[in-house]
Amino acid sequence: MRSPIRVVFEQRNETPKHLSILVPLLSVVAALVVGALFLLATGYSPIETYSNMLSDGFISSRGITDTLGLSTVLICTGISAAFAFQMNLYNIGGEGQLYLGMIGGAWAGLALGDQLPTFVMIPVVLLVGSLAGALWILLPAFVRSRLGTSEIVTTLLLTYIAASLVKHFVYSPGSFFVTKNSAFPQGRLVPDSASLTGIGDTSLYPTFFLVILITLGLFWVVKKTEYGYRIQVISDSPRAAHYAGINANRTTLSVMLISGALSGLGGAVLIVGPFGRLDPGIILLGYGYAGIVIAALARNNFSAIIVSGILFAGLRSGGDKLQISTDTPIHIGVMLQGAILLFALGGEAFRRYHIHAVRTERATQ
Amino acid sequence: MKKMWKLAAVAVTASLIVAACGGSDSSSDTTSAPAAATDVKVAVVYLGVPDDKGWTYQHEQGILQLEKDLGVEVKRIENIADNADSEKTFEQLASEGYNLIYATSFGYGSPMANVAVKYPDVCFQWATGAKFLLTKDGGGAFADFAALPANLGTYFGAAEEARYLSGIAAGKATKNNKLGYVAAFPIPEVIRGINAFTLGAQSVNPKATVQVAWTKTWFDPTVEKQAAESLLDAGADVLGQHQDTTAAGVAAEAKGAKWVGYNSDVKEAAPTAWLTAPTWNWGPYYTKTTKAVADGTCPTDEYYGTMADGMVTLGSFGDSVDADTQAAITAKGAEIIAGTFAPFTGPISDQDGKEVIASGVKAELGALLSMNYFVKGVIGSAKG
Repeated sequence: MRSPIRVVFEQRNETPKHLSILVPLLSVVAALVVGALFLLATGYSPIETYSNMLSDGFISSRGITDTLGLSTVLICTGISAAFAFQMNLYNIGGEGQLYLGMIGGAWAGLALGDQLPTFVMIPVVLLVGSLAGALWILLPAFVRSRLGTSEIVTTLLLTYIAASLVKHFVYSPGSFFVTKNSAFPQGRLVPDSASLTGIGDTSLYPTFFLVILITLGLFWVVKKTEYGYRIQVISDSPRAAHYAGINANRTTLSVMLISGALSGLGGAVLIVGPFGRLDPGIILLGYGYAGIVIAALARNNFSAIIVSGILFAGLRSGGDKLQISTDTPIHIGVMLQGAILLFALGGEAFRRYHIHAVRTERATQ
Repeated sequence: MKKMWKLAAVAVTASLIVAACGGSDSSSDTTSAPAAATDVKVAVVYLGVPDDKGWTYQHEQGILQLEKDLGVEVKRIENIADNADSEKTFEQLASEGYNLIYATSFGYGSPMANVAVKYPDVCFQWATGAKFLLTKDGGGAFADFAALPANLGTYFGAAEEARYLSGIAAGKATKNNKLGYVAAFPIPEVIRGINAFTLGAQSVNPKATVQVAWTKTWFDPTVEKQAAESLLDAGADVLGQHQDTTAAGVAAEAKGAKWVGYNSDVKEAAPTAWLTAPTWNWGPYYTKTTKAVADGTCPTDEYYGTMADGMVTLGSFGDSVDADTQAAITAKGAEIIAGTFAPFTGPISDQDGKEVIASGVKAELGALLSMNYFVKGVIGSAKG
């Protein structure tokens, strides 16, 4: 009798360099192949679908500017998630912190916009938005660092409250954020001094470059500074950190606040950029939740987040446009976006484990 | 094995490169001015999907009629969130040569107006829109009405007329005079509808009251159902709604209560509970405006349809609506269509008993469009 075959997952101590590049690449390829089979089965041409997705997402001039424009906020929520995740702090409430960034940014723009010039107003809006995002994570950060309460639950629950807050500020008659004499509750546009124009009339705003700089800055902080070293030690071994005299509570608090501020920045970026007003429609877009996926795709590596953020934005933007450029229904576009992300995340297993089949030895016989 | 992977990788990369080259030349078609209706490239942008049995479904029915009437083929764009992000969708539609774009939700207004400025030859139509909201005074980006793009029209209608009629059915159906109303947002459109429903009910049952439950959502079956159940628990035996799903009807059916729907004639959703529903008939407007664009003009007025022109209709009657009630509703409907009766004719007083519309006065459209108070008999706050 032949002994049965068993699949063994053997954890790798160190990932070979070629796998770090090959795995994500092949994951995307595998997703495209599966997507192609699905497209063929449903009667759509994979070549036409992919070429349109690629063109509308990355290649045509509007495609790439739309993608980079969208990636601006996604990179914000991506680095927000990654900054907390790297210390095993699971802030999954970036979505809510983003709403608060929008509320704070819109407030600053409306309250101060008429008195201050643009070069002051833009930083003020971005700063107030970031502070509002940090404020929204203050309570979860405090109870996490002092009492060890799970931040997963608290940050998520606060997201629902933040969504209600956005609706409250827009749908309550007489709210500061809406037009007084309007028949329909609609957020007021911030004054011109608090809004930027897209580069060359596109949906790409100068904030993109600021966000890239901030991301690279964080990369440097994490790799090169003492603060980054502390984060590393705490995440590797809290006990070792304790013996080394590192104050884990204080670091936890600051890391979470920074994470919240980065999502808040994403919300403020929308105020000085494409939205220009507090808009409850933000709740339909899930930019904050997308940040979690983007951070996971980049394995919390800040420079990789720029790539995964742009990739995600392009997939989304190109996938959304599929139904215009081809006759592919929206569901297929969404399915392809999902498949690519799922495969990319699933591929992780191959990177982290050495997977091989073995025959189980039998003692008797 | 390794070789196979390599081959596969090369093949896919190659196909992607080919695909990329093929895709880049598709964005530059230019279309000349259309001559016949079939030459008009029409697109419609939906908030949801056409089979939601509610708001989007009803627009889809209108689009299907347009296709039948004029033989045009309409491009549907589904699941587009109505916020600033939708600007990309409108921009791409305009750049791909669509001549006429219908947008079926309020939030599309600003993004669409921004695109309309860049594409003066494309005709844009904004359902439920109001041009005032695009101006600075209304919280929008344009200095004043004169600065608005000249290729943008809005369309909506007097649902309050059919809501009044549906209120008659509700007022007759209630046993304990307690009506409930599952309502989306405290905005004039919804408030106006609640008032019309209440006035209709009171016209046949002066003791009828209407308790309002706000959901703060247009489309959320779970929340709508919970709101409906809370009203039923509070004693309501007939429900009205300003929502895009049939969840309130399902809740009413389960509790043996009656239900007035909205948007679509969907008795099957709650067969016993069903009384009737104010419904929309967008087809004639779509056909008319597409014809106009084919003839070279973009309708740019703020169109407000009525029962008289058929944009607003009343759905079929449920089995429990007796012949007398049906006849009374039909007669009232005929008066509305003939222009001899309007739901908001004084004397009408607000919740506190203060007279808001004087005896014999017919409220003007402007007053209807900005209505922010509840009439006497409504229980709840018009502020949400």
